[in-house]
Amino acid sequence: MRAMWERPVSARMRPRRLPPSSPLQEFEQVYLRNVDVLVGHFARRCRDPQTVADLTSETFVRAADGFAGFDPRRGSDRAWLFGIASRVFAHHCELSARSRDTASRLGGSRPLEEDEIEELAGRIDAEREGAALMRRCEQLPATERAAIELVDLDGLTPKEAALALGISGVALRKRLSRARSGLRKEHHGND
Amino acid sequence: MTKFTDHLWSDLAREHGATLVHADRPEPGRARLLRRPRVLAGSLMLGLAGVVTALVLTLAGSTPAFAITTNGNGSVLVTINQTSALPQANAKLTAMGIHEQVTIYMTPGPASVSGPVTCAPAPGASISGPTLEVLVGSDGTEVVGSSQTAGNTGAGTYHLGHCVVTGDAGSGASGTSGSTGNTGNTGAN
Repeated sequence: MRAMWERPVSARMRPRRLPPSSPLQEFEQVYLRNVDVLVGHFARRCRDPQTVADLTSETFVRAADGFAGFDPRRGSDRAWLFGIASRVFAHHCELSARSRDTASRLGGSRPLEEDEIEELAGRIDAEREGAALMRRCEQLPATERAAIELVDLDGLTPKEAALALGISGVALRKRLSRARSGLRKEHHGND
Repeated sequence: MTKFTDHLWSDLAREHGATLVHADRPEPGRARLLRRPRVLAGSLMLGLAGVVTALVLTLAGSTPAFAITTNGNGSVLVTINQTSALPQANAKLTAMGIHEQVTIYMTPGPASVSGPVTCAPAPGASISGPTLEVLVGSDGTEVVGSSQTAGNTGAGTYHLGHCVVTGDAGSGASGTSGSTGNTGNTGAN
């Protein structure tokens, strides 16, 4: 009973919304705002919890390395992180055998604990509808697929998605329109 | 947050915290922060005979968010005035060459006895560094106002029930388990 009353205070407990007083606190707020959506992003793409963990970790390791250069005036932190995430995933696809490098950069390999694996497996399962949509998008060009994933599944604004993909807002909206149109045609074709 | 994301943040804070604390953020971000209530970040190192104190100031003219003191007997006292500063304190420990990370567990109610709590090693953790003690506030009690919490949840009075310490490599449990005890626990019920 006593344990139920305990309030563990660690990185998971952020009960206050105080303004960040240091870059570390600022980065922590960026982390807290985005880690869940990034886990979901990778959970739709990968079926292996350890891979989801590695890709999420690598994204934030790169973000921490480059945080000094992040300028919020140029775009939201979410757009910035998804830009990093897209490069991390591309690198993973090219060199998947090296994806575990992240662990060594974090001070040694830390295999996931059983409940962490269960958490991530649950998240992968929860994202199965999104993953199914992504499979339906496989016939679309990669650029259109990325646009529809970022906006319709990850919840980025078109402006954020454009920043993440390094394209103009106009180009993003065109890709998004084509992607949605393509999916509608495919859907009607299946009826 | 999930256990995975909690662990990931602990890893990031441990491995990159020192770099981030001193990151030279672009002026726009800094200007944006300065529009908020008077915030001042800085650090002050005091060297005394047998005593080294590290302070990180968060509010101009107010109590430091945390302080780390190395006592003459080699033990290290981590004073937490704002529990939200715990990741910073852990990052500072790493920066000071103390490869141990602290997780604290707050329990409702005021501390029955004031004073620091000695952290126990987490199960399976290999701790070779100095003994760590944690003191929350000046007397072991923290009062969280309703305006300080999201949705007014978590407001109340808390004291440090117990704390655990893990090694720098994050081996074994990472302090989220509440099954370990501590020695010299002066704050528990």
